[in-house]
Amino acid sequence: MRTLIEYSSSTYPERLRYITNPPTRLYVEGNIELLNEIGISIVGSRTNTQYGEKMCKIFTKNLVEYNINIISGLAVGIDSIAHKTCLKNSGKTIAVLPCGLNRIYPEINIGLAKQIVSNGGALVTEYDNDVKTDSLKFLERNRIVAGLGIGTLIIEAGERSGTSVTARYAKQYGKNVFCIPSSLENKKGITTNLLIKQGSNLVTNVDDILEFYPDIKFTKKQVEIKDIVLDVPQNLIDVYKVINDIPQDVNEIARKTGLPISEVNYKTMLLQLEDLIIELPGQRFTRNYEKE
Amino acid sequence: MFSKVKSIVLNGLDGNLVEIQTDIENGIPEFEIVGLPDASVREAKKRIEAAIKNSKMEFLNKKILINLAPANIRKEGSCLDLAMAIGILIANRYITNLDTNELVNTIFLGELSLDGKINRINGILPMCIEAKNLGIKTVILPNANVNEAAVISDLNIIPVNNLIEVKKYLNKEIEIYSYQSKEIIFSRNDNIDFAEVKGQENVKRALEIAAAGGHNCLMIGCPGAGKTMMAKRLVSILLDLTIEEAMEITKIHSISGELKNDGLMTNRPFRMPHHTIPISTIIGGGRIPKPGEISLAHLGILFLDELTEFSRNILESLREPIENKEVVINRLNGNYRFPCNFMFVASMNPCPCGYYGDEEKECKCSEQEIHRYMNKISGPLLDRIDIQVEVKRPELRKIKSKEKPETSMQIRERVNVARDIQLQRYKKYGIYSNSELTTKMISEFCNLDVQSEELLQNAFKKLKLSVRAYEKILKVSRTIADLEEKDNIEFKHVAEAIQYRSIDKFIK
Repeated sequence: MRTLIEYSSSTYPERLRYITNPPTRLYVEGNIELLNEIGISIVGSRTNTQYGEKMCKIFTKNLVEYNINIISGLAVGIDSIAHKTCLKNSGKTIAVLPCGLNRIYPEINIGLAKQIVSNGGALVTEYDNDVKTDSLKFLERNRIVAGLGIGTLIIEAGERSGTSVTARYAKQYGKNVFCIPSSLENKKGITTNLLIKQGSNLVTNVDDILEFYPDIKFTKKQVEIKDIVLDVPQNLIDVYKVINDIPQDVNEIARKTGLPISEVNYKTMLLQLEDLIIELPGQRFTRNYEKE
Repeated sequence: MFSKVKSIVLNGLDGNLVEIQTDIENGIPEFEIVGLPDASVREAKKRIEAAIKNSKMEFLNKKILINLAPANIRKEGSCLDLAMAIGILIANRYITNLDTNELVNTIFLGELSLDGKINRINGILPMCIEAKNLGIKTVILPNANVNEAAVISDLNIIPVNNLIEVKKYLNKEIEIYSYQSKEIIFSRNDNIDFAEVKGQENVKRALEIAAAGGHNCLMIGCPGAGKTMMAKRLVSILLDLTIEEAMEITKIHSISGELKNDGLMTNRPFRMPHHTIPISTIIGGGRIPKPGEISLAHLGILFLDELTEFSRNILESLREPIENKEVVINRLNGNYRFPCNFMFVASMNPCPCGYYGDEEKECKCSEQEIHRYMNKISGPLLDRIDIQVEVKRPELRKIKSKEKPETSMQIRERVNVARDIQLQRYKKYGIYSNSELTTKMISEFCNLDVQSEELLQNAFKKLKLSVRAYEKILKVSRTIADLEEKDNIEFKHVAEAIQYRSIDKFIK
């Protein structure tokens, strides 16, 4: 369900009105109510490290536990991790696109975009449906990411990165910028450490973020973990869905999916190569949770 | 008093014509056989003497000399008994009404017992084939062997029971009708069928691929998983035998005395030697070489149960025969060649205790023990095994379920199609199946598209496969593509082929 929201509309997100250069109209797909709910922007490098991935997952999960929406840019790397982790923990997430809704970029995340919408999230963009992305639009997109959130959490960012632009916008708009400290040897930690040096807030856990918002009452809830199949290629989903954490052998999988054994054989191999499942002795398979 | 009759002795798989020259003269009574006879031929003296006496004929007290020409090749076995006895009777003028023209075109085969009865001998089929090649018209042979000989057309086969009968036949006192060759019916042994195996679809699939491409195959699984049961049923999905193939395997079994009374073998052989077997029995050997288990499995299946229990010597000695499809046994008096184009199927446990990877029983082995156990199979032998598959114990409820598994006939139909495709494709190259592809041919027939090539590279990196797996995977994916009647190897064929590298995944 797509909605066009003009600046004059009452549904136009309040927080976005106060940025220096607010978009005149927003194209939204999905749940438009999210735009006015409380959300934190999570941004970071497209080429994250393992440390970044781990931190992003921990912080996203904890934020979702406090009923906070996650806002990010649907890029690869930290953005995708934030969206996915949010979905997995039954959170709501907003993806701000640097392109029209018919031209989702990057293409690899089209599936993720669909999952976001179907799980009560929203896709937001200021561009007309068929507009393609280009390098300028990434930077323009970042100002909406920064503007929509009540604060911005920076996981990891290299030198001279798009992430540092988002941080600059956030500061400009008077929003809190939170940074996760990194090792000095981590190249993807240069900007986060620099921002801390310049006065951004160093956070070591979610409570550090929450105490900046004394006016808002946060209540912790028990999140329910959803079985969301994200990175699995479309043709392999049938097999993947059957495989869970109890090891199962090929014959069982074949019976449950109703596929011929030859097909199960090649699909399990492909899943294995994608690192989605692990083979145990005895040709039994189980999901690879490390990957998730 | 002199006579000449003809017979045939075996030398390896081939027959050699032997002329039995008998000379009887007056003098000090003596019975001598010359012309390189071995002990079993020399002992014939006593049998012949007793048989002639017990057939109510006189064994003259004269000087008897028998020469077996050509005199420079060794003769062994009891198949010359009848010919020598007839030689003596002719030289003694016992057979008065003899047609000498006919005698030149007749060979005599058979062992005598002391009462004059003629016993069955081994190797009748290759002997008769040789006789036919030499232009012989009539073969007189033991009644017990008649089914085996009847396979050959255009040969006058005279079954006889005892010496008197032969004498009367040659004397034209009685007439014995030539045994008519029967029409050969290729009946399948219906007692074993894949329909009896419930569950185990993955293993059945692997065996189907193995049968379709002639791939050697290794099954790994815990005790009681049904490895042997399925290996035995593999014969039921192999191609039907052609007449020539049936002749060839019957020949080998005929020499080894493994034939029952049925005549031509119409089923492919399934050999399952025990792991304590000595090396000469599996490869073939003996002072006068006899075909071993590998030759008896020619055009069929050699199944080694509990592969790791076989001594290293035996396993290593299998390497060349698997490659060359023929075994040569050297002896002082010549080389003996036996064909051994078999499909090699083996089974083993995944670890010393047998339960590694089993769901119910806990495996008690340490990682080191498992590793050592797996390493009993040498790399070069593994090199010759294209398909490795894991067999799990079926669940009880599956065994009891009423679902009807595919029958062997249904599987065989697919296998036949895949084999036909291969025969057509390799017509000019002198090979018959994908398993025989050489490195050069692989680059010609097993081309991958970019996507599949990438997948394979990726798999090698992720699963840490050994380099030797590369060609195997290509060959097996060629067979999978043939089973689907596809001209080109596709992405999914390669992905499935990689699944059949269980051992490579175990040993890292």
